[in-house]
Amino acid sequence: MIPVAFDYEVAESVDHALELLGQHGDEAKLLAGGHSLLPIMKLRLAAPALLVDLGRITDLNYVRDEGDHLAIGAMTRHTDVERNPIVQEHCGLLSYTASLVGDSQVRHRGTIGGSLAHADAASDLPSALMALDASFVVKGSSGERSVAVGDFFKDYLMSDLAEDEILTEVRVPKLSAGTGWSYQKFTRRLMDWAVVGVAAVVEKSNGSVGTARIGLTNMGSTPLRATAAESALSGADPGSVAEASNSADEGTSPSSDIAASDEYRRHLARVLTKRAVEEALSR
Amino acid sequence: MSRSEATPIAPTRVGPEPTISRPGGIGQSERRPDGVPKVTGEFEYASDMWLDGTLFGATLRSPHPHARIWSIEISEAEAIPGVYAVLTHEDVPGRKVYGMEIPDQPVLAWDRIRYQGEPIAIVAADHPETARRALEKIAIDYEVLDPLADAEEAMRENAPKLHLSGNVLNHVHIKHGDGDAVEADVVVRGEYEIGMQDQAFLGPESGLAVPDGEGGVDLYIATQWLHVDQDQLVESLGLSPEMVRLTLSGVGGAFGGREDLSMQIHACMLALHTERPVKIVYDREESFYGHVHRHPAKMRYEHGATRDGKLVYVKARTVLDGGAYASSSPAVCSNAARFAIGPYECPNALIDSYVVYTNNPPCGAMRGFGAVQTCFAHESQMDKLAGALGMDPVEFRVKNAMTTGSTMPTGQRVEGPTPVAELLERVKAMPMPEAAGDGPRDLRELPGGVSNTTHGEGVTRGVGYAVGFKNVGFAEGFDDYATARVRLSVTDDGPLVEVHTAAAEVGQGLVTVQAQIAHTELGVERISVLPADTRVGSAGSTSASRQTYMTGGAVKMACEAVRERLFERVKEEFGESPNSLSLEDGSVVSGDRMVASLMDLLDGEDIEETVVHRHVETFPLDANGQGDADMQYAFSAHRAVVDVDTELGLVRVVELATAQDVGKALNPQAVEGQIEGGTAQGLGLALLEEIQVRDGKILNASFTDYLLPTILDMPPVKMDILELADPNAPYGLRGIGEPPNISTPPAIVAALRDATGRELPRIPVRPEQIAGVATQPPRRSPQAGGGYADIGDIRDRSET
Repeated sequence: MIPVAFDYEVAESVDHALELLGQHGDEAKLLAGGHSLLPIMKLRLAAPALLVDLGRITDLNYVRDEGDHLAIGAMTRHTDVERNPIVQEHCGLLSYTASLVGDSQVRHRGTIGGSLAHADAASDLPSALMALDASFVVKGSSGERSVAVGDFFKDYLMSDLAEDEILTEVRVPKLSAGTGWSYQKFTRRLMDWAVVGVAAVVEKSNGSVGTARIGLTNMGSTPLRATAAESALSGADPGSVAEASNSADEGTSPSSDIAASDEYRRHLARVLTKRAVEEALSR
Repeated sequence: MSRSEATPIAPTRVGPEPTISRPGGIGQSERRPDGVPKVTGEFEYASDMWLDGTLFGATLRSPHPHARIWSIEISEAEAIPGVYAVLTHEDVPGRKVYGMEIPDQPVLAWDRIRYQGEPIAIVAADHPETARRALEKIAIDYEVLDPLADAEEAMRENAPKLHLSGNVLNHVHIKHGDGDAVEADVVVRGEYEIGMQDQAFLGPESGLAVPDGEGGVDLYIATQWLHVDQDQLVESLGLSPEMVRLTLSGVGGAFGGREDLSMQIHACMLALHTERPVKIVYDREESFYGHVHRHPAKMRYEHGATRDGKLVYVKARTVLDGGAYASSSPAVCSNAARFAIGPYECPNALIDSYVVYTNNPPCGAMRGFGAVQTCFAHESQMDKLAGALGMDPVEFRVKNAMTTGSTMPTGQRVEGPTPVAELLERVKAMPMPEAAGDGPRDLRELPGGVSNTTHGEGVTRGVGYAVGFKNVGFAEGFDDYATARVRLSVTDDGPLVEVHTAAAEVGQGLVTVQAQIAHTELGVERISVLPADTRVGSAGSTSASRQTYMTGGAVKMACEAVRERLFERVKEEFGESPNSLSLEDGSVVSGDRMVASLMDLLDGEDIEETVVHRHVETFPLDANGQGDADMQYAFSAHRAVVDVDTELGLVRVVELATAQDVGKALNPQAVEGQIEGGTAQGLGLALLEEIQVRDGKILNASFTDYLLPTILDMPPVKMDILELADPNAPYGLRGIGEPPNISTPPAIVAALRDATGRELPRIPVRPEQIAGVATQPPRRSPQAGGGYADIGDIRDRSET
């Protein structure tokens, strides 16, 4: 459990980090908490020659109220996202989901940007942000761009980030008053990765579903939206939520692995979607 | 075969200073000397040992479960600066194979690989990283062969032979009464399966070998049985026993997984070759390949009973997957046969138990040793039969419970207290946990806990019972003994008893128990339990729930021998008859009258006695499985209460209650700890713990992917501890370590069946079985998502 030898640089600023990335190219990896990267380095599944530590860039640690949305700096720790009163008030789903990431140590060191850029489909935050319709600010040597959450996750552990780009900010629309939410995480033991997770954001209309956005964790190589279920849920009254949720796994391709078979993952997605929408309606 | 540029270093390491404790006598709850240091991180485990000039050993292992080796090329590895030795089978000085019962396992493989992870070469270097790089430079030319990964297939006539002796390593046949040649009113059949559990001790394999500069070696090692290690080291190193000395170092758990050798011979070979101390520590992944596991088993049962609920016959066929090498498989196979029908009276039985060589990881000893597997099967059958008869499962068991004087399927008469019915009745009579109310519940009490998947809707409660038993100590005619040396002296601080045995403290609390016995027998407060080593005779293994019985008994006898000599002295000096004397608070007394103080009696003349303790003789089984094979039986019963989210398949074990007869609790707190620990390990087997093996390869060699229960998965354990003295045993005690591990899994599964109505024939039970989604194991290779096992190589991917 000792990683291959590597060099280490502290980035003083985003520009400094970009400069280091420019110099070292694909030899370098960004360290943004390290709770995904360091374990796989110790297992020698990754062996970067250089780690560029973003941990001292305090400019990237913030939560701001930007009117219709919240802006969250990429280096904001999970525990700070969880406990931030603005996040709790305007985006309860994100605060709650952050409280389920890993264990307490992970939440105190790991960051929202690190988790998203790692692009693990078994992580909880990506699917919650899918349901929240978030967008990401990405900075590169040639400037800044915005990426919609649906365009950010490309494949298993692959994001839209180029080698010389850094994810700097997460923008999350505020939830309106009539909107309920839920995140359901299935694990066999607490603190494990989700076997399947479901995030729901439901705009309510007279006790029924107006529109629903459903994010799926670990139902494929990227976080997914359950679009068929979303259509079926549109306008559903509480009595028909269960049936509408039966299409939650449509269009997904979950893996069969040591944690679960693909059939079982599909089953979980359906049941958890039903439960998530029911909870969102009651919230 | 290597460059050796070291100067010999005299062995400078001394074990930890023996500490003097002041324990109470037997029957008192005593604190353990290792408790606080373990919690504060100051305890020295075997992996913490260090000496100046120590080299680091590393092991090259086969990635293939079955292969031929055509060549091994080491010169490139030897050329790396900092590498002191690269050794292969050619460098094994003595016997090139090892094994406790059957020496069939290569110290280092030469022509054939029989399991994934089999050691081929060893390296000593100045840094662990150097050693690791050297391993990468060793070139092996393999011819990869198809693995023989299924035990039933390996039994077939035309299967390729993995060993010259054939693939069936042992077959135990028991015919009791008329066997199956009888009719019964009600018959139930079942097939059951158990996965491969890991001992999952938290301290991985580790040891430090120190050459003595004269051709001999001292090994500081975490093991379960110093002398059986020494025996095998002597053979493979080609040295005399005096030249191979072992001292027990801090053991981080064992559970059977340290009975076989791991790095012992390797470290000694490297140390003798380099003339430098060599330390080998496995990491967690290597540990999964570095020790034997619990045998997976497939069990086919048929039970017949009369309409009024008396057992008529049992037919049982068990196939245990022994993996690539023998380890203690033959004995596990026999245990699976002797305990196949459970602690019940049944006039007829036909039992066939097989253990088979395959290309799977080698299996051997683990807590419960064969009885765990069959208990799951016979208890599942007893529930099924109770259901078919329309009887209450506990009442049905009680009606058939073994009692004193009952006959085992082996023909052996069961002697002494046999409280099977009583344990069941007691566990049933314990108050039930509160029923789930209608109001909102704390998420932590629900299946899935705070992951928020269950809010109590549709949660069903189930209750299940099980009883199990197993023999204590070694069986079937094995010459089972333990040695103890006790020395009584006086120092400036008063009388002192030193207790010296080779018995391995593996976390169960044996050091404290030895001290308590010495205090009880000699009336002396200051006790020093010396470090366990091979300077004293064998204590036998810390296994088979035997060490308090065997080594505790030896310490008791040695103390008695010392006392006898002391009283002789009193008789000579004071004319007092030994019959009227006793020892209290450092003095010899006769009734209320003090005769002499130990200070006066012992002045300058210490008394030392070394005693060997043997239990009652046992006998091998004959061709029909008949014989008095066992020394003592230990029994326990469990009741499990579970809440199940039947839609998701999630389980919350609400409570585990148990009743166990321990004969005499020498250290009650330690007894409770053993029962809780064994129950937790049983819960792990019922619900979570399985080494997943496909085509001979382990898929989950990490604690991320091998699921151990955490404190949040383990409910409170209610205990009812009985002390029914066994007249043959020291203090009447009964071995305690294994029974909790045996009766827990079937009780939990019975509760799950009660809650869900599903058959659940396999443990660990997976959520998909409970939810009724899929009963087959995963079909495809692991892919993305979840634990480390599934990540693969991501070197080219972007992540932060």
